[in-house]
Amino acid sequence: MLIQIILIVAIAVMIIRLIVNLRSSKINVGYFALWLIIWLVAILFIWFPGISSYLADTVGVGRGVDLIVYVAIIAGFYLQFKLLMRIEKMEKDITKITRQLAIKDIDSADKK
Amino acid sequence: MKTLVIIPAKNEAAKIGEVVSGVMAQGFEVAVIDDGSSDDTGVVAKHAGAKVLHHIINRGQGASVKTGIKYGLENGYEAMVFFDADGQMRADEINKVLEPVSSGSCEVALGSRNLGVAIDMPRVTRMVKKLALIFTLLTSRLKLTDTHNGFQAWSAGALRQINLVQDRYAYASELLHEISRLKLRYMEVPVTIIYTQYSKKKGQSIFNAFNILWDLIFKK
Repeated sequence: MLIQIILIVAIAVMIIRLIVNLRSSKINVGYFALWLIIWLVAILFIWFPGISSYLADTVGVGRGVDLIVYVAIIAGFYLQFKLLMRIEKMEKDITKITRQLAIKDIDSADKK
Repeated sequence: MKTLVIIPAKNEAAKIGEVVSGVMAQGFEVAVIDDGSSDDTGVVAKHAGAKVLHHIINRGQGASVKTGIKYGLENGYEAMVFFDADGQMRADEINKVLEPVSSGSCEVALGSRNLGVAIDMPRVTRMVKKLALIFTLLTSRLKLTDTHNGFQAWSAGALRQINLVQDRYAYASELLHEISRLKLRYMEVPVTIIYTQYSKKKGQSIFNAFNILWDLIFKK
């Protein structure tokens, strides 16, 4: 089906970008491997829709596509939560740096 | 008692000079935390005689107060008073708020506008304050007549123990929480809060109460 081709081409682009990023050392090997596996599994599911249907049937969800959507939503929320936590930590760190700078500045001004 | 008056300020150039001079006239040392102001707050405060701690980017009122506390503790101050930059509080009442702490009868003195006088408090503010009282009673079990009054005096010993993580306004709730957690001896002192046209304009929007609640729930 056409949709399979479109999705696989899209994923191929993602994988190429992944490789480019690895080459320019923007990401490390572990991160690269993780995403490569995710994309390869995605291709597997797209090329053989039977797999997801089988899994869906096993866990009691109507259609394979539904199962994928459910899993994707949960994964998305988890990722968002992780990002939120990380941003929060960065905010705290920025505050610490700002505070340290303020105190350092006034201390050096005091000495003058 | 070596006391530092901490005044967090963001874009308060219009008022800060007057406020700093008022406090210094009472014989106190003042640290103004210029929280990433885009106006001349820092310059004006320094000119008026305050020590100015400059946050190069805005980090919020909670973060500013904490910067003041850290500076105070590192420089051997024995007590600190939190004071507002917008002229809502009266400098001649600092001694009254500080007294229970300097005499050692408690570690924290909290200003209360309900024991004291609130001049021209808007009705919505009154309502939100009531809700905040209930919230405080439920979450930190402190029975107060006024919560989130920025006019407070703390002993250095108490400040050394507390752990503040909130950068924005939720730090006010956090302070109360720490009083309860560490079982600090506290006391309420009647103070006058003047709601001027300027302070109303500069003050936070009532809707900010929701943001604070959000911070408290999700940023522990």
